[in-house]
Amino acid sequence: MIIVDTCGQKCPAPLIATRRALREAGSEEVIEVITDNLTSYNNLSRFLTDNYTDFSVSEEKGKWTLRITRRSETGSFTKPQDYCSTSPDTFPKGDFIIVFSSDRMGEGADELGHLLAGNFIKAVKDLDLLPEKIIFYNKGVILVSEESPVVENLKDLEKMGVELLVCATCVNYYKLEGKTTTGILSNMFVIAQAMASAGKIIRP
Amino acid sequence: MEIDLLQMVENGGCSAKISPRQLEEILKFLPLPDDPDILVNIDTHDDAGIYRVNDTLALVLTTDFFPPVCSDPYEFGQIAAANSISDVYAMGGDPVVALNIMMFPSAKLPMEAYAGILRGGYDKAAEAGVRIIGGHTIDDFPPKYGLAVVGYIHPEKIITNAGVRPDDYLVLTKPVGTGIILAGQRLGIASPDDVEEAKRQMKLLNRSAAEMMKKYKIRGATDITGFGLAGHAIKMASASGVSLNISMKQVPLIGNTYRLSEDGCIPGAAFRNLDYTTENTLFAPDLDYNLKMIACDAQTSGGLLMSVPEDRTSALLSDLHASGLADSAIIGSVSVKKQKLLYLNN
Repeated sequence: MIIVDTCGQKCPAPLIATRRALREAGSEEVIEVITDNLTSYNNLSRFLTDNYTDFSVSEEKGKWTLRITRRSETGSFTKPQDYCSTSPDTFPKGDFIIVFSSDRMGEGADELGHLLAGNFIKAVKDLDLLPEKIIFYNKGVILVSEESPVVENLKDLEKMGVELLVCATCVNYYKLEGKTTTGILSNMFVIAQAMASAGKIIRP
Repeated sequence: MEIDLLQMVENGGCSAKISPRQLEEILKFLPLPDDPDILVNIDTHDDAGIYRVNDTLALVLTTDFFPPVCSDPYEFGQIAAANSISDVYAMGGDPVVALNIMMFPSAKLPMEAYAGILRGGYDKAAEAGVRIIGGHTIDDFPPKYGLAVVGYIHPEKIITNAGVRPDDYLVLTKPVGTGIILAGQRLGIASPDDVEEAKRQMKLLNRSAAEMMKKYKIRGATDITGFGLAGHAIKMASASGVSLNISMKQVPLIGNTYRLSEDGCIPGAAFRNLDYTTENTLFAPDLDYNLKMIACDAQTSGGLLMSVPEDRTSALLSDLHASGLADSAIIGSVSVKKQKLLYLNN
């Protein structure tokens, strides 16, 4: 165990000492950082949280001990996608849904159609009002499979509070069981209900 | 006795500002005077207030003062004066006259330090064409110094936080990192070269940058100070009803700012600014942690951040480079208002 006693030190000295210890400690080694400065304690907590480091805190007589038990190997965050502090209710929704019945957008060359579908999904993220739901059926389910180039954008939309409904029958038909990476597998009743109750349906 | 002003302070320069969130909470309860001749007030969180005298003349009024950012009194005076005058430049005005504001611990520091600070202020003001015509001193510890500045401006040529338009580019005229470098200096881990460069940047007047804004008819700008690049960007976006996109890798940095941040040399003011910006910012999922904290680093006497229409961007940029602002760079763009006011990317 490494003990970093930063009592008497002011910001950012405790953080510098902590970062050095994180770099030097073995991957399983526990680090204890002690500070007697409230601001430093707050900033250390924020720093550790932001960098996906697990720690516990105990306080005694105006001294805080931060016990760091686990950290990512590189010292940087391990799950960058979680880093967006976007709570769903901050993104306003419109009364409309989007339906993908194909993994391409429009009629014409396949390659162009794939490209357009990807661009469309990216553009949806920037709309003033987001769709309530996006529904994927028939070849549309390929968009949520692990090979799809737009999966990250769809995951972002899901995090922004957009519900992704994926036709389970279609997933089975195209042999994508276990290969869908986002969205909720749904039956035709749920899909029909979503389409029937939407103010507007957009079919790109 | 060797005078070292830095031994007297924990937070120097604009890092000593009160938290922007606290400030907003308090200001909410103060009624703003209702007068058609007040052209700019705190409503848009602008750098200075502007009061119309007649159809061709308005006054730009601003004040700023802070604790030492460096050891040498003369240099501190220069930096504090450059910082105070900068607010007039940021609004597109011409600074004219100023008053000294000084807090000085006469029992703890020799009077030559007092004289040194004032001389630095006078020399920097003179460089800007500003006449210092008086002032006020209080015996107080730690020392603090700055100016209250009055400038002239044409009422129809005001540059504000609210003048940022979608599709414009964002141009920044000075490198970022003074807060981190100064913290590193106090702890003895910043290189002398970096400290010199930070001081040179802080002393640099925003005058030529302001002249370029006038030449290219820029309508939206601010100077980057205590709330950091991200904090000031949010204030601009909010006042203008737009969203700003900033690519942190395009932002010029002073010397080893990045390495210092990587070593954990992140001052408390950066965490305070992070607190303020989080609600209105979408940090890209892959945004480098150090770049995120650098965006929140409190700057002292920072550069101007301007909103520049696309067709004028390259000409303006080459003029800025030619005028000696070699670090000037395009750091992002403006879009119509989206969910967040600021989008920070690598």
